[in-house]
Amino acid sequence: MSSLMQPAAPAPHPSAAAARGLDLVKVYGQGDAAVRALDGVSIEFAPGQFSAIMGPSGSGKSTLMHCMAGLDTITSGQVFVGDVELSSLHDKELTRLRRDKIGFIFQAYNLVPTLTAAENITLPMDIAGRKPDQVWVDRLIDTVGLRQRLSHRPSELSGGQQQRVAAARALASRPNIVFADEPTGNLDSRSSAEVLGFLRKSVHEFDQTVVMVTHDPSAASYAERVVFLADGRIVDEMTAPTAERVLDRMKGLGD
Amino acid sequence: MVRAVLKGVLAHKLRLFLTAIAVVLGVAFVAGTFVLTDTINRTFDTLFDEVSADTDISVRAASGFGEDAPIDSLRDTVPASVLDAVRRVPGVQAAEPTVTGYAMFIDEAGKAVTTSGAPTLGFNWTDPGLSPLTLRSGREPQRSGEVVVDAVTAKDHDFALGDKVKVLFRGPTEEFTVVGITGFGEADNLAGATLAIFDLTTAQRVFGKAGRFDSIEARATEGLSSLELRDRVAAAVPSGVEVVTSQEVADESADAVQQGLGFFSTFLLVFAGIALFVGGFIILNTFSILVAQRTRELALLRALGASRRQVMASVIAEAFLVGLFASLVGLGLGVLVALGLQSLLKAFGIDLPASGVVIQPRTIIASLIVGVGVTVISSISPARKASKIAPMAALRGGGIEQGGSLRRRSLAGAVVTALGGAALLSGLFGGTISLVGLGAAVVFVGVALLSPLAAVPMARVIGAPFPRIAGMAGKLGRQNAMRNPRRTAATAAALTVGLGLVACVSVLAASIKASAADIVDEYLAADYIISTTNFLPSISTELAPRLARAPELAAVSGLQTGDWRSAGQTQSIYGADPASVGQVLKLDVTAGDIGGLARGDVLVGEEELKDKKLEIGTMLAMTFARTGEKELRIAGTFAKNQLLGSYVVSTATFDANFSDRLDFVVLAKAREGVAPAEARAAVERVTADFPNVELRDQSEFKQQQEDQVNQILGLVTALLMLSIIIALFGIVNTLALSIFERTRELGLLRAVGMSRRQVRSMIRGESVIIAVLGAILGLGVGVLFGYAIVGALDDEGIGKVVVPAGQLLTYVFLAGLAGVAAAVFPARRAARLDVLAAISYE
Repeated sequence: MSSLMQPAAPAPHPSAAAARGLDLVKVYGQGDAAVRALDGVSIEFAPGQFSAIMGPSGSGKSTLMHCMAGLDTITSGQVFVGDVELSSLHDKELTRLRRDKIGFIFQAYNLVPTLTAAENITLPMDIAGRKPDQVWVDRLIDTVGLRQRLSHRPSELSGGQQQRVAAARALASRPNIVFADEPTGNLDSRSSAEVLGFLRKSVHEFDQTVVMVTHDPSAASYAERVVFLADGRIVDEMTAPTAERVLDRMKGLGD
Repeated sequence: MVRAVLKGVLAHKLRLFLTAIAVVLGVAFVAGTFVLTDTINRTFDTLFDEVSADTDISVRAASGFGEDAPIDSLRDTVPASVLDAVRRVPGVQAAEPTVTGYAMFIDEAGKAVTTSGAPTLGFNWTDPGLSPLTLRSGREPQRSGEVVVDAVTAKDHDFALGDKVKVLFRGPTEEFTVVGITGFGEADNLAGATLAIFDLTTAQRVFGKAGRFDSIEARATEGLSSLELRDRVAAAVPSGVEVVTSQEVADESADAVQQGLGFFSTFLLVFAGIALFVGGFIILNTFSILVAQRTRELALLRALGASRRQVMASVIAEAFLVGLFASLVGLGLGVLVALGLQSLLKAFGIDLPASGVVIQPRTIIASLIVGVGVTVISSISPARKASKIAPMAALRGGGIEQGGSLRRRSLAGAVVTALGGAALLSGLFGGTISLVGLGAAVVFVGVALLSPLAAVPMARVIGAPFPRIAGMAGKLGRQNAMRNPRRTAATAAALTVGLGLVACVSVLAASIKASAADIVDEYLAADYIISTTNFLPSISTELAPRLARAPELAAVSGLQTGDWRSAGQTQSIYGADPASVGQVLKLDVTAGDIGGLARGDVLVGEEELKDKKLEIGTMLAMTFARTGEKELRIAGTFAKNQLLGSYVVSTATFDANFSDRLDFVVLAKAREGVAPAEARAAVERVTADFPNVELRDQSEFKQQQEDQVNQILGLVTALLMLSIIIALFGIVNTLALSIFERTRELGLLRAVGMSRRQVRSMIRGESVIIAVLGAILGLGVGVLFGYAIVGALDDEGIGKVVVPAGQLLTYVFLAGLAGVAAAVFPARRAARLDVLAAISYE
């Protein structure tokens, strides 16, 4: 039916994208103090693609990620993860969506301190009360190289090891999409390279969709596509980025 | 610095509230006790002053106990001739006699009009000028068959002018017509007592005091002082009669009330002390957590140049402010509680003349000192910890793990526990109650020091089923309870105190109940026990002789009890019918002859005889309040009988030395071959005429003993509830602080898919573990205390320790439920956490 009509506005329909946002507007505050963190952003993340979102502080890149991941609500527009539209979901459904369809890697405090590395990796499945796919989990553990550290608690792991555990956890439940928020923000360059290498590998070898927010051009260079945000709008896009090209573009944005 | 402290306190109002509540409740208890007892005291002072306001002197028989005779010791009566002697003394404007005695109304339904502890008084009407009675309606009693009733009794039992009412006396029950209703001064009755007022002749007859008076009240002529009048009258009365000023009588009465209230207030203050002790644990724990959470802030202060002393002072100052605030609120709450209790007394029919709430400076000072003191003392250890924070900690970030090894702490805990235990035991067996209390408190501190060691393994076991019940949430809850053993243990320790005492009292009660049943089996031979509900000596002396005439009964004996003195020591003595007492009690006369009782001799318990180095056949000097010193021959000894004390005389001997004799129990044994139903019916036919008594057979009697113990157990448990509630607030507080501390972690869990329900279940799990941990430790300590106390009470006839396992398990279960309740608020807070704010929270 819808294909016969001229769509005045993009209608919700099943899409091939792992996640997409349509006309996203996010306003913080009211009246004179209102800030438009997102000002009409439309974006798609194709399955099996490694995307980076870049932009100066206050550009709205973190807000975009939080809204796409169901952590924050949008003022207007539509967010789809797979073919599920988020604005109609209540907390319970959003929670289940995050648990089953989305993987998260944060900048820091990614792990539950009372759980071992192994327990942290399978946490979302354990919360759901599901048995993890052990073959898949074993493969992830070997890929991140943490076989020897599985029974350690986070306080006994280095920062890089902790982020690798977090990355393995993000992938363990085979989510539709992994959101990484400045995953290397607290790491030295060697540990950063390990974590980013793993993310790229997960895209290439496991066909995982990854979206990473970063302000580090060399981190962005691991992605296949970089989206540039400024003042709540998408201002540019780049495929096959290199660190130099990203840095040049960022200079233009005044970061 | 002061401003920083103030801002710190105000910035965390909720935290302040939760911390303060422990102190508020404890102080309210203290203040409420003081205000209530002071107010009652003042009320009675006013009342007694009112009673004596219209008279100057009182003439009465001197007490055999001498000057310091207790107010309730029974004096002899004075002959009517004394009245004439008094009236003849120049300066006596008026003199009126008083005769008083036991008089209990029976209502229309045939039920006795009982009071909640107050006496049922009867006396004669006197000239209104010399009496506090104020006739509200009708007229004074003028002849035999007329009675005036107090307004409360009249109202509660629908006694109207012209009604016929029955009144129960020591002797036969009689019927009267209500001719007047009276108040007592301003009040509607005399502090809860029922009043039956007769004309003088009737009063003398029904109280068995024909031709005699209990006292004579007289007023001086204008310009003559009471002291002068006292001396004049004293010179005119025969020996054995004393003259005191009415003020002295009022003071005696007031002192007696004050003494009684003193016990009452000490009793309540013990529980207030327990509540404050528990509150101390919570304050210590809260401040420890706050200091840990504020490490960076405190380190920053140090880095900016604050000295260790200043940091320590800042924590103590915060505690001081919290304590002051809490004490003031507690004081106010205490006054409200006292007011509430006062209206409660009124609801129970105890109408006290209004004298306003009495708030003595002592109440205010004690409340503030106790409240502020507990808070400040409890904050010293956390404050010291705070002062040890290095300025570098400001840069490192994160909370400090509390320092000091568990081993050293545990060693200290073991030593403290041992010392406390030693103090407790020496107090118990040496008979020093305060040492028992101190020892128990020290043991609890020791256990609190030791408990972090037990916290992890115990939490693991208690929480073992949680992962199966609640999955990951259960597992995380269990691990949260284990991650900071000191915090978990300190929080649980508050509950340990309350439940420890509850368990101790439960063991004690169960042991007493078991022993009480044994005592009945071992010492009681009677089939039927007739008594009033409270075993008050208020059974008419008519009852026993009438029962004895029933052919279905083999033996009947009424028992009396009273006090006698020897060398300043007050002891109990029992009166019994020598002919029948051996059949209703298993009285084992081991030496001498029970027949001596009938000749006026005394039987002495075996152990007492040995302890006092008395000998059979010698004379024992006994001083009675009514008759003074008497020499009684020791007729023999009997084996220990828990129902009979150490000294027994015949009822006739008892009567000769005590006035107003009433039985406190009548025991009856059925004749051999008479069916129980028949025997019981025979007893009931007689007791029907005495509505203030209750009839029980042996098993009912055991049940009643059990009920009474349960009642006391219930009361003590209720009073301990306050400290348990305070401990639960402690759990709420710890959880709330932990949740605040784990904001990021909660945010992460919510982000990766933990539902709100799971978050709540996780917090609940932690709470239940803390509560059950505290309960189990408390029950352990309490059962040991119970063993110690029962051991010390061996002489009192409590032979064996009974641990009510089912009851104690119920307590553990209830503690778990309380844990669930304590988690409600923190769990809701945790579940409502804004995920985004939580994960971006620094």
